[in-house]
Amino acid sequence: MNEDLRKKIAEMVYTAKDGHIPSAYSIVDLLAVLYKHVLKFDPKNPKWPDRDYFILSKGHGCVAFYTILERASFLTQADLAKFCTKEGILGEHPDCNQVPGVEASTGSLGHGFPFAVGIALGLRIRGMLSNKVYVLVGDGECHEGTVWEAAHVARNLRLGNLCVVVDWNGSAEQLMPYDELPKKWEAFGWKTLVIDGHSEEQILSAFKSVAFQAEGIPTAIIAKTVKGKGVPMLEGHGVWHHRIPSQEELATILEALS
Amino acid sequence: MITETKRKPIRQQFADTMLEVGKEDPNLVVLIGDISHFVLQPFAQACPGRFYNIGICEPTIVSMAAGLAKAGLYPVAHTIAPFLIERSFEQIKLDFCYQKLGGNLVTVGSAFDYANLGCSHHCYDDFALLKSLEGTQVINPSTALEFDLLFRQTYRNNFVTLFRLSTKQHEQDWDPKDVRFGQGIKVTSGSNLTLVVTGPQLRNALTAKPGLEEKGWDPEIIYIHTLRPLDTELIRASVRKTRRVLVIEEHMRSGGLGDDVLRITHDLGGIQFGSLSIPDKFVRGYGHYEDHCKALGLTREGILDNVASDFGL
Repeated sequence: MNEDLRKKIAEMVYTAKDGHIPSAYSIVDLLAVLYKHVLKFDPKNPKWPDRDYFILSKGHGCVAFYTILERASFLTQADLAKFCTKEGILGEHPDCNQVPGVEASTGSLGHGFPFAVGIALGLRIRGMLSNKVYVLVGDGECHEGTVWEAAHVARNLRLGNLCVVVDWNGSAEQLMPYDELPKKWEAFGWKTLVIDGHSEEQILSAFKSVAFQAEGIPTAIIAKTVKGKGVPMLEGHGVWHHRIPSQEELATILEALS
Repeated sequence: MITETKRKPIRQQFADTMLEVGKEDPNLVVLIGDISHFVLQPFAQACPGRFYNIGICEPTIVSMAAGLAKAGLYPVAHTIAPFLIERSFEQIKLDFCYQKLGGNLVTVGSAFDYANLGCSHHCYDDFALLKSLEGTQVINPSTALEFDLLFRQTYRNNFVTLFRLSTKQHEQDWDPKDVRFGQGIKVTSGSNLTLVVTGPQLRNALTAKPGLEEKGWDPEIIYIHTLRPLDTELIRASVRKTRRVLVIEEHMRSGGLGDDVLRITHDLGGIQFGSLSIPDKFVRGYGHYEDHCKALGLTREGILDNVASDFGL
């Protein structure tokens, strides 16, 4: 699934000698469905008032985001080729003031989600009831207290125009083995779904099931994913979190995706 | 002169200004951290759907306020200074400033106003913290009138603006046309000593003036309500004339108004400089605001002593 995007991600990281491949591979299938079937956007007018909002709160997964933005015509292949270069606009965390289609500059974890809660509230205050707000957080990011502050606030404000996707790739349980994420989101009063984050059918079904409304219970989609999904050498929680492949390793990655 | 007890508290003016501006501007939204809830009820009633008591989660309040700005609104985030500025500093830095979004941070608990609550509720590094960020403005209004005018002049200019509300006020009444964002006020003219003052300490500077004159000084008092952008022209012109400047502020010495005055005047050459501020230490102990002022020398007597020790005569 999405082998072409995964190949591009590996090539970008190899060329730039920077980037997080496994973190990108765990979310790329989620983003592909979101941008192909779910979000309203206009790449010719990134600030289109009727657009939906997507916030990548786990900013270090941005290489996947960039490939998706290229596929959605916000970016070009030339932009991707300049990833992490002085001449380019794409860094190792997304910058909303430079990259069309990026709504929030993220990187420090625990910021994008409460920021998205503010957007959702603001849209409701302004009566912009057709705009939806999606935000993707990492499971490791859920160690941040602000994630739970914001979850608490969003539920109490009944922000039914908000949907959070949690990339449950197992990073969190490496550090904190008691990691019952679905129970936690349910305990905070969110409508909670657990899906296979690499199944296009389950991802699409989950997104379609979200009952967006101006006032209502917000939805948390807990997506079970695998870090490095698609390339056995990268999968799991070993050395590859921020490792740059050698030329031989890149060949291995591309071969695994062929 | 109006006595302090007859003056409208600045926090009450904050609530009144929110009400008046909120009625005129549908994009004004107020988020609070369970502070000033009751005093803001008129705004809440008059502007339904634009007042939120978010609770005890200050970093999230700041991030949400930035999100409101992203959605095209003019947010006001309000709670106790250390929680809004120090605890939430990264949210101010990244969610507002880095993203080039504007908003308003209105704090209570200026410096050591919450004297008996101890250092957890003090905040005397807020000028320094906000000034260190791109896209910020720092306003220290010390009367109700100053807050009202300066808020209206700035609240939607796409900067992140700190309004530090103090419990104490100075006792000067200004002609409203003289209260201009970014402009200092020359309170008295003098010839051989400049006192640059911000906050309620203006009262002490004015009461020290006769004592200074008895000792041969002719002080020029400059009042600063806007610390960023600073009225460098007014300060430089005064110091160029008097050659001596004492800066008086309820802020830590590092990063305060004094540092700025030194930076913008040092090239004049041969200037004598003094700072009456909070040493880079915690203000430990309890008591009233006035007790802390006395311990720190932020008094009439402290000003006389500092002028004597720094500049002689």
